Amino acid sequence: MDTLLPVLGAAFSPGNLAWIFLGVTLGYLVGALPGLGKGTATAVAIPLTFYLSPLAAIAFLVGIAKGSTAGSAVSAILLNTPGEPSSTPTAMAGYPLARAGQAQKALKMGLFASVIGDLFSTLVLILVAQELAEYALGIGPVELTGILAFSMVFIAGLSGHSMIKGLVAGLFGILVSCVGLEVETGSPRLTFGLIELYDGLPLIPVAIGMLALSEMMIQVGQRRRLEEEADLLGGSGERADRIVTGADWRRCIRPIARGSLIGTVIGILPGLGASVGSFLSYGAERRASGRGRDFEEKGAIEGVAAAESADNAVVPASLVPLFAIGIPGSVIAAILIGAFTIQGITPGPLLFLENRDLILGVYMSMIAASLILLLVGYFGQNIFARIVRVSPALVMPVVIFLCAVGAYLQGGGVFGIGVMALFGVIGFLSKKYDFSFVTFLIGFVIGPSFELSLRQTLGLVTGPAELLDHPVALAFGALTVVGVWRLTVLQRRQTEAMIAGRGPAG
Amino acid sequence: MPKSDLVSGAVLLAFGIAMLAFVIPTQTSEGGDASISPALLPQICAVGITGLAGLLIVGAAGRLRRGRAAGLHVPRSEWYSAAAVVAFVASAIAVFVAAGPAFAGVLLILGPMLYMGERRWWLLLGLPAALLTGVWFLFYRVLGTAIH
Repeated sequence: MDTLLPVLGAAFSPGNLAWIFLGVTLGYLVGALPGLGKGTATAVAIPLTFYLSPLAAIAFLVGIAKGSTAGSAVSAILLNTPGEPSSTPTAMAGYPLARAGQAQKALKMGLFASVIGDLFSTLVLILVAQELAEYALGIGPVELTGILAFSMVFIAGLSGHSMIKGLVAGLFGILVSCVGLEVETGSPRLTFGLIELYDGLPLIPVAIGMLALSEMMIQVGQRRRLEEEADLLGGSGERADRIVTGADWRRCIRPIARGSLIGTVIGILPGLGASVGSFLSYGAERRASGRGRDFEEKGAIEGVAAAESADNAVVPASLVPLFAIGIPGSVIAAILIGAFTIQGITPGPLLFLENRDLILGVYMSMIAASLILLLVGYFGQNIFARIVRVSPALVMPVVIFLCAVGAYLQGGGVFGIGVMALFGVIGFLSKKYDFSFVTFLIGFVIGPSFELSLRQTLGLVTGPAELLDHPVALAFGALTVVGVWRLTVLQRRQTEAMIAGRGPAG
Repeated sequence: MPKSDLVSGAVLLAFGIAMLAFVIPTQTSEGGDASISPALLPQICAVGITGLAGLLIVGAAGRLRRGRAAGLHVPRSEWYSAAAVVAFVASAIAVFVAAGPAFAGVLLILGPMLYMGERRWWLLLGLPAALLTGVWFLFYRVLGTAIH
């Protein structure tokens, strides 16, 4: 109790709450804008955290991630334009409601479902992460190499449509992480004589380029579609169509509970992401309701609730592998590693021993962020509904400018902007040709840990027989091989089914 | 017919071979007393990328032979917009070095605005002014960091 009180005091101090409020509001605002998502919002905001205390910095970024995840429902429901792919089911079930004059009801239920899913997942994170970290402390370099290899394969197989492309992206990320002074000898590696590269490629400009700038390259080319969709927005109907009634709650409570559980489980597994969670939850509710196509044709408030609760539950749960093992399981987790590094903190099992107060403060801040999300979303609903109509010709230049400012501050000046531009192009190409940028970023982030543990492993294990002393590593090695085989077969079947359904394409 | 997988596979194959044959040997040291060569991990990655690129090409060629699309089509408008954004950022870097951050900032905001069809003069003047003032206030006044 003696240690908890100061932590509570720091987490619920006016200053920290103000940063959480700012993060949630900014996140909600960016999430509500068509075409912008939590990756963009968090990546662009990271440079600001350089000047904050570790707790305020992480709380601010978590606030942005939570706010933008919930905010993406606004453009999905009002404009049928999901801020990110995970809001697509929300658009499918919510946009017909908006056209029927029930936009405010759908937005409110979406918000309530988001907050419940988010809060549930945060509580699971608090209960599970430390327990898992205690097991992780007993893991040696051989086991860690096996776990990292398995995680990369798992993420590569599930975050795109092609296992081969996913693995290429992951290997490319690890290769790019090799740039800089080599760990053991301190000799320059792949630096081409540039002193700026001696410390390696800076994470923040790479992340801003891959996530935000590449998205701007795509969105700028779709400006007409975005403007046309903004013009379609209609008004709301009568009072009964604007509020969430007791009957609505009775219809939605089960989908919310199921969605929160699905989102939390999906979030804990590295690489699956919010889209898988929201689609699974939406699909489960669609089947359970027995309404079939009615969901998309007439709209379904329980569909909105199912998708939003799962979508928002993924974000806190995806921090479980980050906090417990140090493996980023999602884009947000990969970006948070950058924020932790800026503050001189290494995520992983030692976090609970070396920075116990900080992690407790982060937990409290995450709970506070959930409640602030409810207030911001509820009272700001009308404002955000107007903001989605702002012309993309005004929004995109602002985001591009902020990308450049962020890359400049965290990338050593103009060099950082150049790195951002280069990885913007790589991100654009990877998004357009389905080379998972998530896998690339995670490969880039875990690359140094992987190299270190691989070196230690090669020093410890001199022959195949010695691997028998490491059954955990062997198990993960076997899982990696089985994972490659199973995921490749699964994807081939999906591709064949898709082609068979579509016929030969030209 | 989109042949993008074939093209991206070929590009990756060339990249992997170039890394293995030229870049890694010339850009990594032998390592001296190091137990493991500094080139080990880059070589593993490059071998992996080369091998997977080969598989991508074989798969795409097979699909094309069967008359199926191999890969995705990117609309021309998206290529143009990507090139425009890169051009704005590259120009802003050049202007930054030659004339300073304020001019680079104006270019970075005005360029995309004009490209996206914004023609209202008060917004063309007001948005860059407001953003640059906001960033100046945040970094120079609140955070005490200069951009130069």
